[in-house]
Amino acid sequence: MIHIVTPENQHLFRGEMDQAYRLRHRVFVEEKNWTDLARSDGREIDQFDNEHAVHMLYIEGSKVLGYQRMLPSTRPHLLSDVLPQLCEDERPVGEHIWEWTRYCVEPAHRERGRTLSPVANALLSGIVEWGLENGVSSIIIQMNPLWLLRLVQLHFRTIPLGLPQRIGDEDVVAVTASFDHRTLVRLQEMRGKSQRVLAEPWRPVQRLAG
Amino acid sequence: MSRKSFEKTVEFIRNLEGARNPAEVCGMLLSSAKQFGAEYVLAGIIPRPGVGRQQQVSGVVLDHWPQEWSRRYFSHGYIFRDPAITTVRRSSFSFLWSEIEPLYRSDMTARRVMDEAGDFKLKQGFTIPLATLDGDIAGFSIAGEQLEVSPEERGVLTLLATYAFGRSILLREKEQATTIKLTPREREALQWAAEGKTEWEIGEQMGISEHGVDKHMRSAREKLGTRTRAHAVAEALRLQLIK
Repeated sequence: MIHIVTPENQHLFRGEMDQAYRLRHRVFVEEKNWTDLARSDGREIDQFDNEHAVHMLYIEGSKVLGYQRMLPSTRPHLLSDVLPQLCEDERPVGEHIWEWTRYCVEPAHRERGRTLSPVANALLSGIVEWGLENGVSSIIIQMNPLWLLRLVQLHFRTIPLGLPQRIGDEDVVAVTASFDHRTLVRLQEMRGKSQRVLAEPWRPVQRLAG
Repeated sequence: MSRKSFEKTVEFIRNLEGARNPAEVCGMLLSSAKQFGAEYVLAGIIPRPGVGRQQQVSGVVLDHWPQEWSRRYFSHGYIFRDPAITTVRRSSFSFLWSEIEPLYRSDMTARRVMDEAGDFKLKQGFTIPLATLDGDIAGFSIAGEQLEVSPEERGVLTLLATYAFGRSILLREKEQATTIKLTPREREALQWAAEGKTEWEIGEQMGISEHGVDKHMRSAREKLGTRTRAHAVAEALRLQLIK
């Protein structure tokens, strides 16, 4: 299940957010070697982890196995403040455009050379479900162009914002990826289920009625 | 320069939406690849080691490659000796064939594959690794007598390759979905299998024997080109033959 954490409910997820920051540190600092992000307390937190960020946590039992963060394009975000050189075009801004960052999955729950792992699928499905319900139709992504094909195959309509560039020891390209109901259906087919992945702790009654 | 090549790339990507089949994608790609000196394009899923020739060939998605060479290449099993293929498997970076020469300098067979390719007008090439949704590795190559690819153009080619390949796979899926025809009974059996039922339970549901179920499942597997029941279910879901 994907839990969305925002300022309104963060008091309910203190332990899980702590796990999420530690997962980020393990993946981005220790594994990917993004040493700029290193912190002595082992929790990777940056200037964008503020009240505008929407955190999405894949939680099983009480363990956080996957994480990603959405930032509004109308506020400072990575493409505007950290990696503007990736954007050759006019920078996309709007209520319906959010930036997808810090996607990470516990090593034991990754693909291992097969199709999308259940955690990866749920995280992507989480974005689409959340987006369709909140008027968000497009996300900004900075990623290795190697993964771009997968998004195309998942029926995300992606358009590059610039040419790929070498950053550190990785190639990175910025794209916008738009999605719609077809994207959701495709992800559901891939996991063989059509249940929601998003938990809805605040609206249980509506859920039963719907 | 960078601005202009970026704009041309986006234009290419937008035009791809209008392609109706992989052959048209290939045509668009060739006219774009000319600027780098390339006359040939080949792209496909890299077969896992040991698979037969039929499956190797069915992995090809975009094909404008010297025919004589392809025939020779597949019939001699060169795909498992080709140093460009070996490199695609191991690395996530694109490369000019000349750059991997040190890797196979001492491997006689690999050298022969590259030298022979040169005899078929594939003297210089550029290859890009791609990762598909199914977890396969795909390779995308352009080649010709003489290639000219600047560092910035590597990025351009990576994008052209990704989108052309992606578009072709989606178009191919559509084609397959319209050509594969399951009988209602085959579809029903697969549908129950997708819901986790055993052969016996499916038989109960359909009012036929386990043996009868087996027959429907086997024929569905064959039509879908899959070996296992799980793969057949996944494929049928993907092609939207079942829900």
